[in-house]
Amino acid sequence: MPDRTVRRGPRRGITGWVLSAPALSALALFLVLPLLIALWLSLFNVQLNSARPPQFVGLEQYRRIFFDPDLGAQFRQALLNNTLFALAVVPLQTTLALGVALLLNQKLRGMAVFRTCFFMPVVFPMALVAVVWRIIYARDEGGLLNAALHALTFGNFEAHDWLGDPATALASVVVLSIWHGVGFQTVIILAGLQGIPPSLYEAATVDGATRWQRFRYVTVPGLRPTLVFVTTVTTILAFRLFDQVYVLIRGGGLHAATTHTVLYDAVTIAFEGQSDVGRASAITLVFFVIVLALTLLQRALLSMERKART
Amino acid sequence: MLVLATGCVGASRQAGPEAGSGTGTITMWALQGQQPLEVAALRDVVAEFNRSGSGITVQLRLIPEADYPKTLAATRPEDMPDVAEIDGPTMSNLVYNGKLAPLEDFVSPATRANATDAILVQGTAENGRLYSLGMYDSGLGIFGNRKLLDTAGVRYPTGIDDAWTAEEFTTALRALARAAPGGKALDLSEYRGFDNEWGTYGFSPAVESAGAHLIQDGKAGGTLDSEAAVRTVQTIASWRPYVDPNTDTAAFTSGRVALSWVGHWQYPTYARALGSDLVVLPLPDFGLGTKTGQGSWAWGIGAGTHNAKAAGKFIDHLLSDRSVERITQASGAPPGTKSVLARSPLYRPGGALELFGTGLARTCGTKPVTKACVAVPRPVTAGYPTITEQFAGAFTAAYQGADARAELARAARAIDRDFADNGGYRLR
Repeated sequence: MPDRTVRRGPRRGITGWVLSAPALSALALFLVLPLLIALWLSLFNVQLNSARPPQFVGLEQYRRIFFDPDLGAQFRQALLNNTLFALAVVPLQTTLALGVALLLNQKLRGMAVFRTCFFMPVVFPMALVAVVWRIIYARDEGGLLNAALHALTFGNFEAHDWLGDPATALASVVVLSIWHGVGFQTVIILAGLQGIPPSLYEAATVDGATRWQRFRYVTVPGLRPTLVFVTTVTTILAFRLFDQVYVLIRGGGLHAATTHTVLYDAVTIAFEGQSDVGRASAITLVFFVIVLALTLLQRALLSMERKART
Repeated sequence: MLVLATGCVGASRQAGPEAGSGTGTITMWALQGQQPLEVAALRDVVAEFNRSGSGITVQLRLIPEADYPKTLAATRPEDMPDVAEIDGPTMSNLVYNGKLAPLEDFVSPATRANATDAILVQGTAENGRLYSLGMYDSGLGIFGNRKLLDTAGVRYPTGIDDAWTAEEFTTALRALARAAPGGKALDLSEYRGFDNEWGTYGFSPAVESAGAHLIQDGKAGGTLDSEAAVRTVQTIASWRPYVDPNTDTAAFTSGRVALSWVGHWQYPTYARALGSDLVVLPLPDFGLGTKTGQGSWAWGIGAGTHNAKAAGKFIDHLLSDRSVERITQASGAPPGTKSVLARSPLYRPGGALELFGTGLARTCGTKPVTKACVAVPRPVTAGYPTITEQFAGAFTAAYQGADARAELARAARAIDRDFADNGGYRLR
């Protein structure tokens, strides 16, 4: 027996590497390499496809992001917009998805139709959704939302500029993003719900548990891993906010100062106007570090809680 | 994308046009615009050339409008097509990045001599060489609904020389809004958003009319953030309560507003909807006389061509009377050649859009903007993409209520920083 384990050690190592080679090389090619290129580019003054040779500028791009009065303020504002968006979307969307999933988990006839309805927005391309919501949010009395509120309040509602007013711009984006994305979380939670053994509910019922107690002590613990996954994914997706903001700022009168996100800045800086690939790379790298730190923190907190419970 | 960005930096200078045989197959990239009639007309023009027995075959490739600028930006100089359609103000940037070849040696002198002054101004880079020629130009003005103007008792200008002053225009808007059931008076094509080329094309003439510029002598600071520019942007922003956001694009045609500040491209639609009630008016005068925009898509020769002679012959064909007539009749745009402009029923003296024709004839060109000249070309510099992005962004923010002074100052700083990063975008 001991012989065998000794012999198996190194061989298992090789097999492991061989088996993971396809995945690892894909990661290296599409994740590590671009990251290294971005790191290299961020040290240069380089324009997209420019005839000018790149100039080495050291940490100048990073200095600008952190300390330049204009560019620093722009970056901090973008981070703030991202954070506010995530703080609103993650709890709201996860809770809503849980609620919808509970409803869709009922045993009713024609449930497939309801499930399809809730999942449908996820299938629509975001650009299309943004254009449709632009019409809903239109700032005159003809805007669908304004017209609806006008009718509901018997004419007491003054037309509001949902997208253009700094007070409601980000909230408008939050609402349309949740509408678009909630179906995805719902489906995952629904799968989690169906993974909870019915015997647990039966046992709880026999023990005399109320509806609320069954939800609190059977459903929620059973969904725990699913909810952790959903929260993490939603957080990452929230920080990736780009499409709807881009479409609505460039063509929909969305208030740019309170809604531009880090990714919006990175893309527009690299591919529009200045074509400044150097600064865009630096922004992307700094953002990568921030999101990575947040995700690790989130994981650490969750595992700490798990340890405390056991 | 990133690999591409770095990979071609070294290669770009080797590309150079070869005159070639003057026969054979050449490639052509053109804009797949929103007007199907115009695209069909272009297809006809190309097919006609291919049938003409010149020994040259043109392969047309249409590229959607939204992707076109990025496609050009991502194309290496040696991969450029023989003939490319390019947006006027971005030409200089393409020249700077070595993607276009000068036209003089390949296009016939007659073609060049027939181009309007405005087209020549747009096509001439800072090094004095000609890189593009357009079949058509553009015009910007205010379309008015005569019936609504008369009902509200608002007097309106009869031509360029008695344009509304900015104050008169504001007063007119107020009167028109009072008279309108919906309380709106003006359409600014807000549905397109202003944070794009429309923002710059549509509203930088107002800034020029106040005596300020987007950029002067390679610097935006001191002119784009000047008192005159700030006041102009503040004035336009102050009209917002009277502006119909026009999400259904029917604000003017359905009579919700009496005035529409827009380019020539709306003329066919407006003329159909309003008939003889349609009046064409100059933009308001912010102090230095009324100004308007100019410039549009044009043809250039790719730097990497191996058959520039054939490309030149084809551009001659594109700019022939027959082709220009066909395209401009389809789009309603002002013709870019003298001969077609002179007999254009719309733009010649006495035509419905004479105002735009006159404006283009009185282009400020590369000379300093004066009270007398009317059409102002957008700055001919390789740094134009930054200029337009920054101005459009600042204008949009100010229009939504941000402090115009702070926004324009920040835009000016961003432009000057970008110029400094790029050594002033000087052409070698």
